[in-house]
Amino acid sequence: MDKIIARKRWFFLFSLLVTIPGLFFILATPLSGGQVGLRFAIDFTGGTAWEFRPETPAATETVRLAVASAGHPEAIVTEVASGFLIVKTKPLDLQDGSTGSATAGQELAKIRTAVVTAIGPIAEEGSVSTVGPVVSKDLTQQAALLVVLGSIGILLWMTYRFRNLRFGMAALVALLHDVIVTLGFFAIAGTVAGLEIDALFVTAMLTIIGFSVHDTIVVFDRIRENLVRHAGAPFGDIVNHSIVQTLGRSFNTTATVLITLLALLVFAGGSIRTFVLALFIGILSGTYSSIFNASPLLVWWEERAQARKASAARARTA
Amino acid sequence: MRRATPFLILAVGLLALAIDLLPNLKLPAAGGTTRPIETKLGLDLRGGLRVEYQVQKVGDQVATAADVATIRDIIERRVNTTGVAEPLVQTQGSDRIVVELPGVSDPDAIRALLGTTGRLDLIPLPRDTYGYVDLASGQTTTGVSAVPTAGTKLTDTKLKPLFSGDQIASSNVATDSTGRRVVAFTLKSEGAGLFATWTKANLGSYFAISLDGTVVSAPYIQSAITGGEAQISGGGASGFPLDEATNLVTILKFGSLPFPIAEIGVTSVKATLGAAFLSQAVFAGLVGIVLVFLFMLLHYRLAGGVANIALLFYMLLVLAIFRVVPVTLTLAGIAGFVLSIGMAVDANILIFERTKEELRVGKRVGPAVEAGFSRAWNSILDSNVSSLITAFILFYFGSSTIKGFALVLIIGVLCSMFTAITVTRLILRAVIKRDRFASPYLYGISAGDIPAALEGTQRG
Repeated sequence: MDKIIARKRWFFLFSLLVTIPGLFFILATPLSGGQVGLRFAIDFTGGTAWEFRPETPAATETVRLAVASAGHPEAIVTEVASGFLIVKTKPLDLQDGSTGSATAGQELAKIRTAVVTAIGPIAEEGSVSTVGPVVSKDLTQQAALLVVLGSIGILLWMTYRFRNLRFGMAALVALLHDVIVTLGFFAIAGTVAGLEIDALFVTAMLTIIGFSVHDTIVVFDRIRENLVRHAGAPFGDIVNHSIVQTLGRSFNTTATVLITLLALLVFAGGSIRTFVLALFIGILSGTYSSIFNASPLLVWWEERAQARKASAARARTA
Repeated sequence: MRRATPFLILAVGLLALAIDLLPNLKLPAAGGTTRPIETKLGLDLRGGLRVEYQVQKVGDQVATAADVATIRDIIERRVNTTGVAEPLVQTQGSDRIVVELPGVSDPDAIRALLGTTGRLDLIPLPRDTYGYVDLASGQTTTGVSAVPTAGTKLTDTKLKPLFSGDQIASSNVATDSTGRRVVAFTLKSEGAGLFATWTKANLGSYFAISLDGTVVSAPYIQSAITGGEAQISGGGASGFPLDEATNLVTILKFGSLPFPIAEIGVTSVKATLGAAFLSQAVFAGLVGIVLVFLFMLLHYRLAGGVANIALLFYMLLVLAIFRVVPVTLTLAGIAGFVLSIGMAVDANILIFERTKEELRVGKRVGPAVEAGFSRAWNSILDSNVSSLITAFILFYFGSSTIKGFALVLIIGVLCSMFTAITVTRLILRAVIKRDRFASPYLYGISAGDIPAALEGTQRG
């Protein structure tokens, strides 16, 4: 416990080991043209998602062939919980008053007929969502804007509250760590298990950014307090002491939040699964990064500054 | 002031309880009406249809904010004719209109009705392209292009409307001098002026009356129309069929959008599915809350119990605010609420951990608790502000789903700062006055944690 700062290189190394594979898969997304890496839901790509449960279970490939025969070879069919199938196609049946195109459900009706012919009657229909290219383009821009603004907001607030850019920067590094860990997890899960990210995922990212900083602030606050109380003690010792003092709170808070998220993950269904999973990973990573990255980073920074000062002083005396 | 705090908290609590539990409460709303206080559920939880429209431009004309507001009003009127209960029609950003219709079973028909532009344009057809009729001789001179007939789409991008349906003051079904059924309309002064000027200068020219870009009729100007009264004729030998004429009149009178709209996103959720999600989410939330309660009790004992009371207070208060505002609860909103419970507990954990530290160095329970509150305050404020920063960014820049979640988070953070600090402190202060509640054990300290040398002082 008293060696967190002394072992900071190991903790940095661990973070690198976790983030680098994730980063690799994130970067692979644009490079592979979407074959590997993050999988985007129709919120980002535009398209129609139609959810239904057939009376007799059907193979996704049978359904895909039926939809393709109805004029949609681009369709992707996936199976979700409780026997539901999701058919994703390009955006269907969007009416445009300026061109007068009004297909009001006709395209989907065609697909439905083809599916029923192939696999028999449909027991239950869930939701049908269509996202047009305008909305999906909006969201992609919005997502980037939100994360950048959120990060800048936190950087400014921390720098202001602690009157020190280093505190702001250290908090920023910690939260970027959490963003990369979460995004990386989904990039890997997207490649391996086809897990998709949607509009709510963006919300989760911002929530993670806000929450990750909670932990960082608590430790930093204690460092600030101890700097006054134990003036003159080595900076590394003060930081280590502050981390140990706040460890109980960090673990307990994270535990309560993770408990609630776990309950949602296990019992709640529908569109929030991804959202809750993202929060779970992000908050876990947030606790790690604020204890083992943000505060040690402050020490590393301080030690470097002192080393530079010392060598400058030596140079002057020489 | 200090003495009034307990009563204030009690009053807030009772008020919140009343708002949460009493049925049939009403709030005064705009226009002297009332609005029932109820928990509003989003479409993902109750089922229904949500359509997002983008207002399109016509040529190089872009809709102004006033135009978008007009379009919103017209769509709302169209929605009201369908009889859907509790419809929501609102503008979003500079050119978006969002329509939410709970419990709609026939989305296609409603979409067809709402999305119709009903845009009537009066479009001059230039002589050199479309030809003209010499009024004196009755001779027709053909142009490069044929005059479009009824039912064809206008594809010539060079055509510009003279004016649109918004210049129509009134309209009715009428009979012309030859007994054919026609649709008559009267123009407002601006349209009448434009029409008079153009018809005077272009006798014999063709013009097209188009509805949603499709030609209804393309007559030529037989005489200058200076009084602002005009007729559209069409159909067969006896004119328009009655239903077609009535439809046209309806659109002309109050159905015409100044700019066409296009669907950019449509979601429809079956009500049964929404209900299933709701019960799952509520159950999950309850499990989460019970686990948090147990955790606090096991970890902080008496103090944890007090925090749980504050947490109950927090939940009552937040739900009451959700009902009054009202905040529309979506699946994400419920997740946000459950998450905010975890965050609300954070303030108490900070305070209690600080209290434990003070107890460990030998302070008595009373001063230790007070020190816990005052020392934890900085961290609580700083961390909650950081949550508020991100929540406000989500609220300001996010789309509607994201906004809903952000609002839940903002309300949650603000309320939790009140309950976790004020309510917890009030109860704890009352509790620690009693000797039997003054043992550090009750605040999560085990006997071995206190240095033996200090045992005596902390009792004294």
